[in-house]
Amino acid sequence: MNLFHRHRGLTPYLLLAPGILFLAVFFVVPLGFLAYQSLESGNIDFGYSFTWEWSNYWNALDNYRAQFIRSLEYAAIATALALVLSYPVAYWIAFRGGRWKNLLLLFIVAPFFVTYLIRTLAWETILSDNGFVVNTLQSLHILGPGGRLLATSTAVVAGITYNFLPFMALPLYVSLEQIDGRLIEAAEDLYASKLHAFLRVTLPLSLPGIVAGTLLTFIPAAGDFINAQLLGSTNNHMIGNVIQSKFLEQTDYPAAAAMSFILMAGILVAVFLYARLVGTEQLTGTAA
Amino acid sequence: MSTVAVPARRERRGFFAAAWAFVKRHVLTVYSILFFAYLLLPIAVVVVFSFNNPTGKFNYTWQGFTWDNWRYWDGVPGIRSSIVLSLQIALLASLVATALGTAIALALVRYSFRGRASTNILIFLPLSAPEIVLGASLLTLFLNLNVVFGFWTILIAHIMFCISFAVVTVKARLVGFDRHLEEAAMDLGANEWTTFQKVTLPLIAPAILAALLLCFAISIDDFVVTYFNSGNRITFPLFVWGAARIGAPPQVNVIGTAIFVIALTAMLVNVLVQMRRSKGAT
Amino acid sequence: MTDHLTRRQLLQRAALGGAAITVPGILAACGSSGTKASGGTTSVEQKLAGTLNFSNWTLYIDTNNKNHTHPSLVEFKKKFGTNVNYVEDINDNAGFYGKIQGQLSRGQSIGRDIIVLTDNDRYLSQVIKKGWAEKLDKAAIPNIKNLVDVQKHPNFDPNREFSLPWQSGMTGIAYNDTLTDPVLSVDDLLENPKLKGKITVLNSMGDAITIVMLANGDDPTKVTDKSWNAAFNRIKKAADNKQIRQFTGNDYAPALAKGDLAAAMSWSGDIAQIGNKHIHWNVPDAGGALWTDNMLIPTGGDVYTASVYMNYVYDPKVQGLMEAGDPKRDITGIYYIPPVKGAGEWAKKFDPAVASNPLIFPTAKMLDSVKIFDSKALNNQKYVTQWQDLVSA
Repeated sequence: MNLFHRHRGLTPYLLLAPGILFLAVFFVVPLGFLAYQSLESGNIDFGYSFTWEWSNYWNALDNYRAQFIRSLEYAAIATALALVLSYPVAYWIAFRGGRWKNLLLLFIVAPFFVTYLIRTLAWETILSDNGFVVNTLQSLHILGPGGRLLATSTAVVAGITYNFLPFMALPLYVSLEQIDGRLIEAAEDLYASKLHAFLRVTLPLSLPGIVAGTLLTFIPAAGDFINAQLLGSTNNHMIGNVIQSKFLEQTDYPAAAAMSFILMAGILVAVFLYARLVGTEQLTGTAA
Repeated sequence: MSTVAVPARRERRGFFAAAWAFVKRHVLTVYSILFFAYLLLPIAVVVVFSFNNPTGKFNYTWQGFTWDNWRYWDGVPGIRSSIVLSLQIALLASLVATALGTAIALALVRYSFRGRASTNILIFLPLSAPEIVLGASLLTLFLNLNVVFGFWTILIAHIMFCISFAVVTVKARLVGFDRHLEEAAMDLGANEWTTFQKVTLPLIAPAILAALLLCFAISIDDFVVTYFNSGNRITFPLFVWGAARIGAPPQVNVIGTAIFVIALTAMLVNVLVQMRRSKGAT
Repeated sequence: MTDHLTRRQLLQRAALGGAAITVPGILAACGSSGTKASGGTTSVEQKLAGTLNFSNWTLYIDTNNKNHTHPSLVEFKKKFGTNVNYVEDINDNAGFYGKIQGQLSRGQSIGRDIIVLTDNDRYLSQVIKKGWAEKLDKAAIPNIKNLVDVQKHPNFDPNREFSLPWQSGMTGIAYNDTLTDPVLSVDDLLENPKLKGKITVLNSMGDAITIVMLANGDDPTKVTDKSWNAAFNRIKKAADNKQIRQFTGNDYAPALAKGDLAAAMSWSGDIAQIGNKHIHWNVPDAGGALWTDNMLIPTGGDVYTASVYMNYVYDPKVQGLMEAGDPKRDITGIYYIPPVKGAGEWAKKFDPAVASNPLIFPTAKMLDSVKIFDSKALNNQKYVTQWQDLVSA
């Protein structure tokens, strides 16, 4: 820290300027425009006018409450599933992977080199009504004779879980990998069973990874609309679908803008709650 | 202390206990293998169906093997231009975003200045905002500024959301950086710029490369933000979206598989090289 | 500490604070960097462009199934030298309009020379009313004389200055005979428990409401609040019951082909190009909907080249070939109702079997039972909002 900044007070600003400027113009300002638009009233045919139309927000919450709740619901379930599914594998790679750790990690990440949409379309094929999966489930009587997976909330949640698995698995792995194995040995030497050692030592030490993974999964999942569009039916639409439709099809910009902010606010609330638990430094990486 | 108690416990275990221990030992492995199978299942479907020879327009049931889809991968109108556009955007966006992001990362880690916390938050926000909000707000900006939608709006959007990823990637490496190397160089008479060129840059090069690759991957895969801001230019994910509504042709699977194989090969080479290096180091 | 107030902070605060009112205002006033459309409505250049950009619905042009080309477009290129960039990106009127209106309302070109919108929805008349369509170069379209009489003076374009029909069609119900017994009525489609979750309804008001109104015994050509509510609530009930799997545009076709749907409210000619002989289409018992898709030249489109293309497809021989296709060469035709006089005769010459195909030659009985939706109702804000909320949210 004492090396560079003693006589170049301007350097950090010069370094920051281009990037921060870019973000300011193309991230912050647009949000400003969006906020402005969320308080407008009018329609596409006769123009919009700024009228401090807070009713856009109340109406959005009122009319689309179901979709908001559903988005948070699906995102939460998908995140929990992702956590439960990936934790054992992250653990296995971190503790049993040995030399092959990076290779195994690659196997987790590799499927996500295929375009998101193509992966989801593949699920559309796999879960199709006449496909292998549905037929098997039907013969096992898990699904009724007319049962299906596509166009149900199950398919949507399954799709979201699948698509965000690496966002959960990788942070989990990173924090598990940093755990010093000797701590666990010590616990076992002190008469802890394997389960106990896990619960009292490993799990708490992997908490930062759990937190990071949860956030990295929950946030994009809550705003997703592709899984709901391709794998769900009209009853499974999430708030992302509504926002997309309002912007691009109904051109109801004020309502759509209001909804976008409500979504973002909801997510930020969740993030700051987590920040309380963990400390802002973990979150934004200022611990560095 | 415990050496007396343990052997007595061990003797009582016997066969079932040994079997149970075996299962417990390997259940994680079995589970992990199943997990990988689950991960790779859709990919397998994509690859397999890229060789399908469908009789109608729709590529949903297996009808026969053919190399044609691979031979005539650009036989579907629009697919070639979409992939070219995606590659162009990804290349440019990752270069610019990495450059801007590296500069920001250097500033954040090396210097203390006013507004450091705010900068961190500013970098963090795009990562935490849902893509749909990013896309929609940019759309609003461009509409209000009467900008023509097309290549440049897509590029701007991609650079915007890539910067944060680049910053985080490079920062992670900078944080663990041994400053003593730089100190040593300075002690040996190098000025700051030379030190940066000859010592710092080469050492953070892997991180810069990682940031480039990460941005490239994110850009080439982006759908939501591009969907809002593309006008009538079509990137590859947009092409897939359109094609899905009318029945995606096998060529979409072909391109998907090609991207997968290329990326996988690159990463595999990287990992194997690293493994070899670490083997040599120990 | 104002000396440390960087520009970034200022913009940040302005954007987030009350100054939000002024910053966008200032920027908007400064920024008019969009290029205005350079389409000439004053003098039309008589030069063919190298490429014609044509946006259309899917399954709507003659297609060679082996190599995915469109013979009529290939012929056009041979004859005129212009390459047709044919993009099937129209899935429904509302969605397409939503995509293009941002740019068109600012006088910007959308990069297309021809787009196709339906007359049983509000967007076609909106585009013309707002001046977003260029005038056709009628001097380049002598074949306009072949336009069928019934299409010569539609109420959205009384003198055919801005639009020409592409195809007409009917809305009815398609079903897959391997998955269900024949589905021939709206009652079946919306209320048969055996079809629960295996049917789709069109997201277009003019199509869906017309059909359900007819099933209710009401008249869709004269919509009243009462008849609207009856039809709307019936559809909404089916949606809430999960009878309806999705509201779709043209994207019902892949799901139908895949076997995920037992039945779908659908457009007449599509099943020809879906090419599955287990899928049948019928006008519902109580009647169906009739509509016409129209070609338009959006702002900035190349008027001359687009007009030359329109003239080309209004040649009865070309239209006949597009309709019928050529089964021998594995070319599927459009199989909708052609708006060109004499096309039917040519189609029969190319493929005699089409003579008995009611999709191209609807029987008198069929034509009697299909109705056109009340255009006044299309612009009723209350109906539109209600409908949009049902199908997209």
